[in-house]
Amino acid sequence: MSQPNLAVTVGRDRPVHLKNPVIAASGTFGYGLEYAGQLDLAGLGGLVTKGVSLKPRQGNPPPRICETAAGMLNAIGLANVGLEVFLRDKLPALKPHGVPVVVNLYGESVAEFVELARALDQAPGVAALELNVSCPNVSGGGMAFGCHPGPVGEITSAVRAATALPLWVKLTPNVGDIVPIALAAQAAGADALSLINTLLGMAIDARSRRPRLGNIVGGLSGPAIKPVGLRMVWQVARAVSIPVVGMGGILSGEDAAEYLLAGASAVQVGTANFVDPGSCLRVAQELAAFCQAQGIADVNELKGGLKV
Amino acid sequence: MSTWAQVKENKKIGEGIFRLRLEAPDIAAMAQPGQFVMLRVSHGLDPLLARPFSIHGVDGGDLFILYKVVGKGTRLLSLKRPGNKTLSLWGPLGKGFDLDMQRPVLVAGGMGIAPLAFAAQRLGSQGKEAPLLCGLLSTKGFENLTGSISALVEATAERGRVTWATEDGSAGHHGLVTHLLESALSSFPDSSPCGGVLACGPMPMLKAVAQICAQHKVPCQVSLEAPMACGLGACLGCVIPATGGGYVRACQEGPVMDAKAVDWERL
Repeated sequence: MSQPNLAVTVGRDRPVHLKNPVIAASGTFGYGLEYAGQLDLAGLGGLVTKGVSLKPRQGNPPPRICETAAGMLNAIGLANVGLEVFLRDKLPALKPHGVPVVVNLYGESVAEFVELARALDQAPGVAALELNVSCPNVSGGGMAFGCHPGPVGEITSAVRAATALPLWVKLTPNVGDIVPIALAAQAAGADALSLINTLLGMAIDARSRRPRLGNIVGGLSGPAIKPVGLRMVWQVARAVSIPVVGMGGILSGEDAAEYLLAGASAVQVGTANFVDPGSCLRVAQELAAFCQAQGIADVNELKGGLKV
Repeated sequence: MSTWAQVKENKKIGEGIFRLRLEAPDIAAMAQPGQFVMLRVSHGLDPLLARPFSIHGVDGGDLFILYKVVGKGTRLLSLKRPGNKTLSLWGPLGKGFDLDMQRPVLVAGGMGIAPLAFAAQRLGSQGKEAPLLCGLLSTKGFENLTGSISALVEATAERGRVTWATEDGSAGHHGLVTHLLESALSSFPDSSPCGGVLACGPMPMLKAVAQICAQHKVPCQVSLEAPMACGLGACLGCVIPATGGGYVRACQEGPVMDAKAVDWERL
């Protein structure tokens, strides 16, 4: 059998075309450039940048990361270079790599989200925006916005009015019912939904009686959270009509296939980039091999193919 | 992208201390003293992440890692046998020591010896006299370690010499390695002062070394350690408080940094 088709399109009105469904997840891939010496960025379906805010942010006091069973906690605190440096140094440097760049945005108010979106709307080389209304590690904005349908709808519609770029909204799993929040984002004009962000957790050193993170609590990621991610992608995908970009604990091509079966149109790979900097390309290759072995000619056939 | 490397030797050279010899020609060819590799010891999910290990030396296409068993990962690492090809790694990473100086002094505390033995070798091969001051709690159980470090440095570097300090007085100077540094710096004539101190070891030692160097007005480079996920500057997990506020990445602006760039009070 010939090579299966891996190309996917995320979004209908403002489509984002990807050569394969594997995207590097925000916060695990820097601005992409950090990985350029490790793998050919052009081989990725896309990459999502570290969350960009209006002003540079220094982030949380260390320690910022710690490993947990089959996963890790992080509390980076959205440290980033800020919009100005991002537009001047990062975005232009990504252009020659020929990879679709999704810019993750973080604002502490609706006005900040709008200002960021306006500025990026004018910048060349942005494939889509991903609204971060789900960071668990910051006190203002972040998850505080993302836990309720009202604020998510408000931010999404304000940004929708400010840009013609495809708009993805990244949702937090730290809620009782994610579906109303997903529906609010859809109703407000989101082109796609990314989920899940990290699960709020903590780790303790019993001997020193201290938390293992400077921020005390942080976001759990890695294979440990894959069952939660699959469950939420499945719940959301069957409730909305816009595409879902699924993530949470993907290490292999088969993990990616599971997310597609749960209803995702594409996937993001995060913590796996720390296990091996080449993980995104390997996941895409393994997904192709999986399709071939299963006699699947087009990866899109997997989407929502869960048999229940 | 990570590569699989074959273990050629994994020798116990002290209580809980091992020296790993890996076949990693691409990394060995580029490695500079003070740089590190991200090393992953298992295919499985536990441990999941790679860990940073400083490069202890190179020999042709082989890379040496000196490590102490402190947790699950290093315990698994200590079980690797020659011929195993179950280690993946990427590197060399980070900013190493700047060796472009005359009359350097090297200061190591505990496992801080790992990168400094490499630095001593390189300095020695440049024909520079590079005294290496090493501090340990005790040499008991570490006779092979002290012996092999001394032999390594003195063999490669004709003019290298290793001086030991132990807190229990079991060998060398009875006391802290910082005492050795004080007297070493004082022994330089004013006309030809020490050109720079290179240090690696526990944080309190590094802080003391930085203070001593500041008093003697000698430039000081310290190699720092921090929890790390990517090693590439992307995850921002390994930050160190920087002078003047904010943070720098141990993996990118470090692990070797000018001691003046580190905010020791916030560390």
